Amino acid sequence: MASSSPEPLYVPGEEPARHFGPDDLVWTAEEQQTIDGWVAQYPTADGAVMKVLWLAQEKFAWLPAEVIEFVADTLDLPRAKVFGVATFYTQYYKQEMGKWVLDVCTCFSCQLCGGYDILHYLEDQLGIKKGETTQDGMFSIQEVECLGACGSAPMLQVTNGPYVHNLTPAKCDTLLANLREGKLPGFESVTLPQDEAELDGNRRSDAEVIEQYVTPPVSATIE
Amino acid sequence: MPTVTIDNQVYEFENGDVLLQFCSDIGIEVPHFCYHPAMSAPANCRQCLVKIGTPARNRATGEPEMNEDGTPVINFMPKLQPSCAIAITDGMVVHTQRSDDIVEEGQVDNLELLLINHPLDCPICDQAGQCPLQNQAYKFGPEGSRFEFQKVHKPKRIQLGPHVVLDAERCINCTRCTRFTSEITETHQLSIHNRGDKNYPITAPGVEFDDPYSMNVCDLCPVGALTEDYFRFRARVWEMSKTPGISTYGSKGINVDYWVKDNEVLRITPRQNLDVNEYWMPDAARLIYTTFNEDRPAGPEMLFRDGGRGPADWRQAYDAAAFLLKGVEGSETFLLGSALATVEDNYLLMQLAEHLGAPAPQYLSHVEPGSGDDWLITDDRAPNAQGCERLGMQELDADLLKSRLASGELKVLYILQDDPVGMGVLSEADLDGVQVILHHTHTTNETLPFANVALPIAMAVETIGTYVNADGRAQRLRPAKATRHMHRPQMMEMGLSRLDRQGTPFDRWHDESNKIDCQPGWAAIPEIAERLGRKMRWDGPASIMDELAQTDAFAGATHKAMGFTGVPLEDVGEAV
Repeated sequence: MASSSPEPLYVPGEEPARHFGPDDLVWTAEEQQTIDGWVAQYPTADGAVMKVLWLAQEKFAWLPAEVIEFVADTLDLPRAKVFGVATFYTQYYKQEMGKWVLDVCTCFSCQLCGGYDILHYLEDQLGIKKGETTQDGMFSIQEVECLGACGSAPMLQVTNGPYVHNLTPAKCDTLLANLREGKLPGFESVTLPQDEAELDGNRRSDAEVIEQYVTPPVSATIE
Repeated sequence: MPTVTIDNQVYEFENGDVLLQFCSDIGIEVPHFCYHPAMSAPANCRQCLVKIGTPARNRATGEPEMNEDGTPVINFMPKLQPSCAIAITDGMVVHTQRSDDIVEEGQVDNLELLLINHPLDCPICDQAGQCPLQNQAYKFGPEGSRFEFQKVHKPKRIQLGPHVVLDAERCINCTRCTRFTSEITETHQLSIHNRGDKNYPITAPGVEFDDPYSMNVCDLCPVGALTEDYFRFRARVWEMSKTPGISTYGSKGINVDYWVKDNEVLRITPRQNLDVNEYWMPDAARLIYTTFNEDRPAGPEMLFRDGGRGPADWRQAYDAAAFLLKGVEGSETFLLGSALATVEDNYLLMQLAEHLGAPAPQYLSHVEPGSGDDWLITDDRAPNAQGCERLGMQELDADLLKSRLASGELKVLYILQDDPVGMGVLSEADLDGVQVILHHTHTTNETLPFANVALPIAMAVETIGTYVNADGRAQRLRPAKATRHMHRPQMMEMGLSRLDRQGTPFDRWHDESNKIDCQPGWAAIPEIAERLGRKMRWDGPASIMDELAQTDAFAGATHKAMGFTGVPLEDVGEAV
């Protein structure tokens, strides 16, 4: 089964489509002040590039070519370098995304625990493939690398926000139904076994636990 | 001096030496892809892994710890280390793949990893035959592939810029190309895009890779991911001969290799010379390869007595040139030297002028102010102006020449390898009534229509000779492609292809096509001089330089001494 070679995101030398005009591409005085503060934190402006890209994504919802250029020019960095950073992280959206972005992890642990099953289940449910957005602009699916929650694989992240752990098809259905109604899943605490008692099952102080993940007894696991 | 033990042998090193470079310098081959001596070492290909240990010291006393037999205790690092990023320290013990099975296994495994998503398209890849990945996979790699799955597909045939094409699937992400644009040319045009198994180098959105030195990334690329657009699918590297030479582009004297197949120059690549161009050359200096193949003359031409103009044979043409020179006084002739011709040819021209009693030859300057970049592209478009200066030739005084031509004072103009009409120095009216003898390299030479005798001269890729670059470095030209008439010195120094060396009489690789009917200046000028009663005593360009090397201006610059990297000449006035 040979597939044809994919196209690059932007063809070198070809003028990319523009989505924001020069009037949009300005920082407010407040934003500029924040950026200056970040730049001052590091020996060179390179250090601030991720924070500024994040700020830009919050402002413009995604990062088309002109926004990446805008960030590069703000920090006086080579455009190719900022483009390289922006494309490295799946959390920076290089395409216009739906309201809810489902970042399904298919890295090693999730893959072994059925990450691809979850990915394909969601694709079937929403009628789109990974990297696509539903017609109604509600959902996008991305296949992402490890999000650091291997203990509760398979998992996904909703729009760079809450994690949904220990996924099953039933859990996916609930998630999609809730998201359609605009309800984000709450914070699910997954503490390390040794921390459960100490932190009272919650490793965050800024969020309320909706469900507590309990480590199965060791002997039961072994059996 | 501090010492390091590599594979049970002790070597002395200087502080600051990098282990991988040190191994290369002493002749130990450690496989590597991302390391390049001119750039930073990110250690991201992981191929140069070696085992490294340092002498143990007692924590309390700081004294070296000793084994019972008196040898120092060596603490080996728990994991293999990339030798490109390790500065050698005193007493360090290194095990390379030559002496340690773990290192050998580590390198094999790493190569297997690099090859997992690498397409097996060597048979159609331009890099095959000169590919570090291919070579090192043979030498240090696994026997076969265990990967039975669909390989990752990435974009192919991306035109990164006017001269460079990217095949992202072949890329192993060594980042040599991105480091070249950020550290050497500082245009920052390339960056690694995307992550994991999907990453490859590309420009920012909408940006073309139009760096004037862009094609150096094709030389740097250790796989076939970045290739020169002009050379794609033109020839396999083993079918070509590769001859070291000097670029005719500008007066920097860039050291190059000329790649020739079927008597045509197909490719020019930079040759390492740390005193001149290091490892680099500008794109424009590569793209002049066509000038060696196209619009070349088909033998001598002359104006016959009946007024007709047509091809002549060499003897006729020499006779005619000698006849023209013999018929006038020495003061009525003017000989124009050339910054495009070699030192040897210009020297012979000066000898001829002396014999004729003509005024000292001058050369035509090709300087275009402001066209250089203070690096490898120079304002001077000609390669050998400095050589002419050192011979005592002066830059042409065009106004004086024009007035002497206008007054009818000059009857014969002898032009060595240049084009005064095309350069706009002389016009058709100036040459009215003047007999012109021209050594030309191209049929597009605009002085050619006015020549009474035209003798095609061999170009820098066909002759033997010396160029002196703007910094006063004498460097040698070697014949890279055959001409119709091969003299023995040329035959001796011709670059050979693999087939030339290994082919049998049954292989049909010889090609007589594309041979230019031209003569090197050091063969043509003595022929004319001999007909004028001056027997030139040199038996080839090497003996001319042997003589010139005795003078201050060219002290020590014999062909032998120049070798492959040239001889820096003393800074003297303009005199022989």
